[in-house]
Amino acid sequence: MAIRSGVAIASLAVAGLMALPACGPPSSTAASSTTPRTAWGHPDLQGVWRYEGAIPLERPEQFAGRASLTEKEVAERRQLEQEQAAKRLAGQEGAAVGRRSVAESPIRGNEYNSFWQDHGRPRQVSSRTSLIVDPSDGRLPFTADARKAEARASARYGVGPYESYLDPDTGERCLTDGVTGMMWQGPNGGHNRIVQSPGYVTILHEEYRDRRVIPVDGRPHKNIRQWFGDAVGRWEGDTLVVDTTNFIDRTNYEWANIWTRPSESLHLVERFKRIDANTMEYTITVEDPTTFTRPWTAVIPISKLSGDTQIYEYACHEGNYAMPNLLRGGRTDAARAASSR
Amino acid sequence: MRMKIVITLAAVVLMFAAKTSAHHAFAAEFDSNKPIKLRGTVVKMEWINPHTWIHLDVKTPKGTVERWMIEGGPPNALYRRGVTKDSLPNGVEILVEGFRAKDGSLRGNGRDLTFADGRRLFVGSSGTGAPRDGRDKTEK
Repeated sequence: MAIRSGVAIASLAVAGLMALPACGPPSSTAASSTTPRTAWGHPDLQGVWRYEGAIPLERPEQFAGRASLTEKEVAERRQLEQEQAAKRLAGQEGAAVGRRSVAESPIRGNEYNSFWQDHGRPRQVSSRTSLIVDPSDGRLPFTADARKAEARASARYGVGPYESYLDPDTGERCLTDGVTGMMWQGPNGGHNRIVQSPGYVTILHEEYRDRRVIPVDGRPHKNIRQWFGDAVGRWEGDTLVVDTTNFIDRTNYEWANIWTRPSESLHLVERFKRIDANTMEYTITVEDPTTFTRPWTAVIPISKLSGDTQIYEYACHEGNYAMPNLLRGGRTDAARAASSR
Repeated sequence: MRMKIVITLAAVVLMFAAKTSAHHAFAAEFDSNKPIKLRGTVVKMEWINPHTWIHLDVKTPKGTVERWMIEGGPPNALYRRGVTKDSLPNGVEILVEGFRAKDGSLRGNGRDLTFADGRRLFVGSSGTGAPRDGRDKTEK
């Protein structure tokens, strides 16, 4: 059973986050003698990890110019998160599934009782207002074209139009939600198991059964383009640095969030560093002139779940009734529009 | 005043919520203007990805039986929340509230499930193995 004391986890995480600078790159090269080691002497990152924080990727406009919340704001948010989690456990509050905004949903996002979702614990509250630490405004530095594409993706998310199997986004098609968010996002939980062996780090992501086998033996990049690119890892002190290039161009697909889409110019650098027994500082630097005007960096605190946490299968198309259902829904909408002309 | 603060805070929390990553398109699949309330007998529950589906026989006022399919949560998430095959056995009578498929077929999503004796599924009763919340007086 993965459920455990969210308050205790939150305290640990907040303590860890308070040690972080409010802005700027992470201090990833400092070695720590307390980092556990594998039998062959590498830093031990193994276990099941999940992002359980409430920090958004981008800084909300209302906090423009502020990297941190006040102590009072943190306390208020912490109380609200705990109240909401208690309501979710009691089946009294809906999850965010299917909701694009409260205003447009007559049932206020309560299409699903949230007990259907794996959102039982209170999310960890921190003073940070965005996961993005660079640029300093905490916002994704989209190009003008990418900003239009993101606006389009947001407008059609969850509502279509769906005329073909190509119209749902990559997640609805059971493909993937992309490697950029793999370690810290997931529609049904975002659990990741890291397994190490001499020369390799393997990451198994529950959703879509995404997995990465990352060599850490000094080999160079290969030249085959793939959805998840070509990842090579190395150790810098206690930090695992994974450099990934050779992504395939899938910018023409529908993505729920276009910042996760691969293109041939994408260069992703990830840093994995344990900062205490139950927290990993996971840092991504994304460089892709196809989508962004400049590189951006996000620092994400990820929690280690209890040792008995399982990763389950996800055979996503096994029962993907959603695909025929939403195509039927699209035809119903089209017929209704035709008859009202 | 207290309510106003809570609403304001709720708005803040919503603003902090990232756009839910994919899976799936509720508004494209179901019609939130077509709420359904079905009392029926569980015929089978499909523990399949990416969402569970409950098959339900529902008696109509005319005496005929309709077989409905109701979408539930992802099996992995449900299992982590303590829901097992024993939570919704075949033959049990339940009341389902949710929203009907857009195309008007006998499909819907399940929002709330209530057993014949009034227990709601997944509210922490000892009978479901779900996390305890103190509501169930028989819970030790």
